[in-house]
Amino acid sequence: MLRMDGFDYVAARDPGEAVRLWHAQPDTAYIAGGTDLLPNLKHRFVQATTLVGIADALPRGWARVGGDYEIGAGTRLAELATLQALAPVAQAAGLVASPQLRNMGTLGGNVLLDTRCLFLNQSDFWRKSLGYCLKAEGTWCHVVGGPKTCVATQSSDTVPALMVMGARIRLLGPAGQRELDLNDLFKFNGMDHLKLSAGELLTHVVVPEPAPNFRGSYDKVRTRGSIDFPQLGVAVGLHLAGPGADAPVEALRIVIGAVSPQPKALPGLEAFVGAPLTDAAIEAIAEIAHARTRPQGSVHGDPAWRRHMARVTVARALRRLRDGTEADA
Amino acid sequence: MSVKPDPQHASAPRSTRPARAIVLQVNGEAHELSAPPSWTLLELLRYKLGLTGTKQGCDKGDCGACTVLIDGQPSLSCCTLGVMAEGKQITTIEGVPLRVGRAFDIAGALQCGFCQPGMICSAHALLAREPAPSVGQIRDALSGNLCRCTGYTKIIEAVQLAAGDMGGHADLATEGLRTPVRYGQPADGFLVLGARGRKADSIQKATGEAIYADDIALPRMAHGRILRSPHAHARIKRIDTRAAAALPGVYAVMTGAELPEPFCVIPWTPDETALCIDKVRYVGDGVAAVAAKDEETAIRAMDLIEVEYEVLPAVLDLDAAERAETLVHDTDWKGRPRRDNLCKDVDLAFGEVEPALQASAVTMDATYFYEGNTHAPIEPHCAVAKWSPDGKLTVWSSTQVPHYLHRELGKVLGVPTAEIRVIQPTLGGAFGGKSEPFDLEFCAAWLAKKAGRPVKILYTREEVFYSHRGRHPMEMHIRMGASAEGRLLAVDNDIRIDGGGYHSFGMITSYYAGQILTGPVNFDHYHFRARRFYTNKPCCGPKRGHGSVQPRFAFECGLDELAAQLGMDPIEIRRKNALSGGDVTVNGQLVPSTGLRECLDAVSRMSDWTERHGKLPRGRGLGVACSMYISGTAYPIYPNELPQSGVQLLADRSGRITVFCGASDIGQGSDGMLAYIVAEETGLAPDDIVVHSSDTELTPVDLGAYSSRVTYMVGTAAQEAARSLRDRMRAALAAHWSIAEDRVGVALGFWFDRDDPARQLDTKAVLQIAEAAAGTPLSAVGGYRTRKVGGAYRGGTIGASPAYSTTAHVAEVSVDLETGVVTVEKVWVAHDCGRAINPVMVEGQVEGSVYMGYAEAIMEAQTYDERGLHRGPNLLDYRIPTSVETPDIFTKIIETIDPGGPYGAKEAGEGPLHPIIPAIANAIYDAVGVRLRRIPFTPDVVLATLRAQAPSPA
Repeated sequence: MLRMDGFDYVAARDPGEAVRLWHAQPDTAYIAGGTDLLPNLKHRFVQATTLVGIADALPRGWARVGGDYEIGAGTRLAELATLQALAPVAQAAGLVASPQLRNMGTLGGNVLLDTRCLFLNQSDFWRKSLGYCLKAEGTWCHVVGGPKTCVATQSSDTVPALMVMGARIRLLGPAGQRELDLNDLFKFNGMDHLKLSAGELLTHVVVPEPAPNFRGSYDKVRTRGSIDFPQLGVAVGLHLAGPGADAPVEALRIVIGAVSPQPKALPGLEAFVGAPLTDAAIEAIAEIAHARTRPQGSVHGDPAWRRHMARVTVARALRRLRDGTEADA
Repeated sequence: MSVKPDPQHASAPRSTRPARAIVLQVNGEAHELSAPPSWTLLELLRYKLGLTGTKQGCDKGDCGACTVLIDGQPSLSCCTLGVMAEGKQITTIEGVPLRVGRAFDIAGALQCGFCQPGMICSAHALLAREPAPSVGQIRDALSGNLCRCTGYTKIIEAVQLAAGDMGGHADLATEGLRTPVRYGQPADGFLVLGARGRKADSIQKATGEAIYADDIALPRMAHGRILRSPHAHARIKRIDTRAAAALPGVYAVMTGAELPEPFCVIPWTPDETALCIDKVRYVGDGVAAVAAKDEETAIRAMDLIEVEYEVLPAVLDLDAAERAETLVHDTDWKGRPRRDNLCKDVDLAFGEVEPALQASAVTMDATYFYEGNTHAPIEPHCAVAKWSPDGKLTVWSSTQVPHYLHRELGKVLGVPTAEIRVIQPTLGGAFGGKSEPFDLEFCAAWLAKKAGRPVKILYTREEVFYSHRGRHPMEMHIRMGASAEGRLLAVDNDIRIDGGGYHSFGMITSYYAGQILTGPVNFDHYHFRARRFYTNKPCCGPKRGHGSVQPRFAFECGLDELAAQLGMDPIEIRRKNALSGGDVTVNGQLVPSTGLRECLDAVSRMSDWTERHGKLPRGRGLGVACSMYISGTAYPIYPNELPQSGVQLLADRSGRITVFCGASDIGQGSDGMLAYIVAEETGLAPDDIVVHSSDTELTPVDLGAYSSRVTYMVGTAAQEAARSLRDRMRAALAAHWSIAEDRVGVALGFWFDRDDPARQLDTKAVLQIAEAAAGTPLSAVGGYRTRKVGGAYRGGTIGASPAYSTTAHVAEVSVDLETGVVTVEKVWVAHDCGRAINPVMVEGQVEGSVYMGYAEAIMEAQTYDERGLHRGPNLLDYRIPTSVETPDIFTKIIETIDPGGPYGAKEAGEGPLHPIIPAIANAIYDAVGVRLRRIPFTPDVVLATLRAQAPSPA
């Protein structure tokens, strides 16, 4: 079987204690559901001498506070999948991995999911045969063929959905709490894709309650109907001025995930505000999606096809949301 | 958390932590145990608490076999640390109420059973929160539990049964209650056969009781690991194992030089050694092995072994193999220098192909490519070896060929086979992937001898992909011609086969590629050439439908092409050229029975073919294909005059008959088949038959579970033994009653006087009368003796079989014109298996075959990069279908009673896989008008093909 390096384990009782425990030792890692960390430890490109267990320390569940949903980072993905008020988020959470992994995995873990790559998420033997890679123990990115840029992919399903809903995250560090727009969490570097300080703990995700005329969705492109990570994730958040399909657009956000280290928020969508979402407008938006999406070969699937799928998936989602039709099975 | 560069000691744990006390609440009991914090819950359950019902299939969250309930929620124990589970309520299969497991048992949902403890945990949790789930909810809830045997069809039925009235067997959900094995009506004129029934060992599998190889733990047992080559092709210059041997906790280290005797499952072509000696031939080839007190120590020791390689250019595709600038093997199996990479070259011609093609009204000429793929049984290979103090060796192995393993162990280890015992425990799926000896069996045995203690070697999931022996990539240049009336006149097929690093069954593969294609569609002129090449990749071998699935894809698509040219219905062209029972094929194979016409009629009717084929809207289509497959290869792998299968029966005065047979139940249900046949002849209930199988010390030889030979050959041997026993019972009872023997009748559970039916004795009493009359324990034997069949030419016996099954499929697909995604909506199958001894098991084999072929057509590919490195040897990157996307499968059994099979039975386990790939391809043609000539039909390829067909604005 796969073997991990030895480590100590200490369970925290609350977020404050978790942060203290993290800082009390060198080479520490938080573990909540463990569904991302443990395979990485087994593949041995991540090491830690102490794991700080936070599954029971993090807030779990959600509350409406003011105009916001405050969701505890310890909320299991299976639970989040029932939060129908935040439809795209619930859809995304319900599409993560498999039922078992959704029972185990937390929202916080999914948001902070380490970047993934076909050349990284493999056994130590395999990576040694490869000659290792830029992100772990090597000097060469086998995806782009160079020594500088790591394009391991941000593969969270919930992140694009949360981003189109304007989510913020609440972080706890030794200096106290801070809030960050989820948009500002990521950077284009597969080796280090999160703008977090050492040991900062994600405690809450705060999502503004959507307006009544909000329509949103998350679509996941993958080979199988379960288990697979996304080959492409498309989240759409659409505000129309009224209930009909021909109501003018008030706001539109689209975020594409699983293409690079950083989720891609499509630019230029403000041009479509104020007018109805015509077929022509949808085609133009889909064209933006195609032009702006440059999938990397770090995840499964032909990059050119995945790029094509950005166009198709965006167009289909917009039509569906505009017309109020159900998603494809 | 950090990423550390440390390429020197790559694999070994860099540090360990002492064990600490861990308290787990499992199945309502508190267990205090001691383990390091890095141990997973899976390891603690299996190896500390002995709760081996929870299985390990991938060890990293991709397969679901290790599913347990944590606070009632299905969770993966391989991705949960034991310390994380403290304070939670853990429920394993051993603690799940019986109801769902019993429903799986009754529905026939258990084949190998390896995935099912986890599956049953998921199903139990579903029913706890949703007592009446829809099919969609069931599919979703089980979508994290991969099953490789069933196609999920009967699993979904089982969950519905458990949610409902248990199919009228509500009382059976009670603990301890004995369940009748048989619960349907038998076929006309039979007591047992034809009745829907359970498998002999289902409930053991459903409750986690069944013992698989890795569930075995022996006192003082050491754990072995095999050091593998990181290079696709290299010469071994030097191996230094001294540092490894000196590591505390290491009991033994070995290298290839210690076991230099070459082996191969085919005795003529031994080109492998237990571990590599001079050269490595693929990434993952074994070079040394270690046994230590635990796996961590063994891994650390492996890292201390210094291997100096001279890296050689690697041969990674057919063109490079044929160019032969680099030789994978420097010499052949007789030690003669090689000049090429050709492993086998078969060239056979029957009739006059070229003139017949020229005379054809329509012809097709195309190159098809079948990508390689692999079996991926959920159970990784595992072997345990133990030497007794008097020098005898016992090997428990997850093998489907105990007899061939027995022979090769004797040869390689230099031990008389009489001093070796091979036991196949319950097997967690095989599909051909465990049908020859592997390095782990030799290494476990040798290390156990050196260490003086038992040794277990369990492959990691990654090693399963390297050991492979899966479907060969094949490139097939096929030409076919037909008359204006649709009579198929000629077929020419030029095939190149990518064999990987070793021979395996290569010679057989090469013959099968051509020899099995000649029915059930008949033709007059045939030529094929099949060349199998060595390459520097894991060795290919027999996967379900060995050698013949690939050419069947090309042939059945070619037939569709001809039908389209002729404007003929694709079912009609098959009907027009159908073989009939008793016909001899163009290559000289006698086909005693075939139900092609009945199969075509059935799938045509079920799919509403006439109304719908060619008439559905663009993007939706129906396709048909058919196939024929052997019921056992006529001759044993090593020529001999001995029976190919032996069955021994021993009756007990308690009213029980014990069956001893070497046959391998690999989940297909051969133990049950033996019980039904013995019950049928003796009048005992199948419940009263106990089967002991696949143990070379206890059971008469059977050659193994390959070539779909078991029901035909083992069934024949069982029938002979049971009839012999029945005859002696009849004679004794006739004497007892002082009546003529032909007046004695047998019914289920009792024997009677035909002239005075009120005169009855139960079977137990008859057994006692017969035993008393014999004056010895009552026993009988039966055998299957080789029947001389096949063409009178070199190679004419390979692909020859005493009987052939026939299958027809119709697949319905939708093709998304915008994305290229192909969805297989429904599959209708009619399979002619002759007599269906237990229809539930036949259906299970058909459904599993369809699933596996569907996967090959749509998503699976075992491929390698430019270094020869496998592109993702794990169950996340090598995607096998889940319960969600697997299509609905509708099965119709056709019983064309075969004159030579036991009760007319033929095979069901492999034939039904073949047609699904071309049926899907032909359905895609019906849907969108393009021919896909390369599998898998991934959306990028489909979309590119659609765009090439008609340039679209997108």
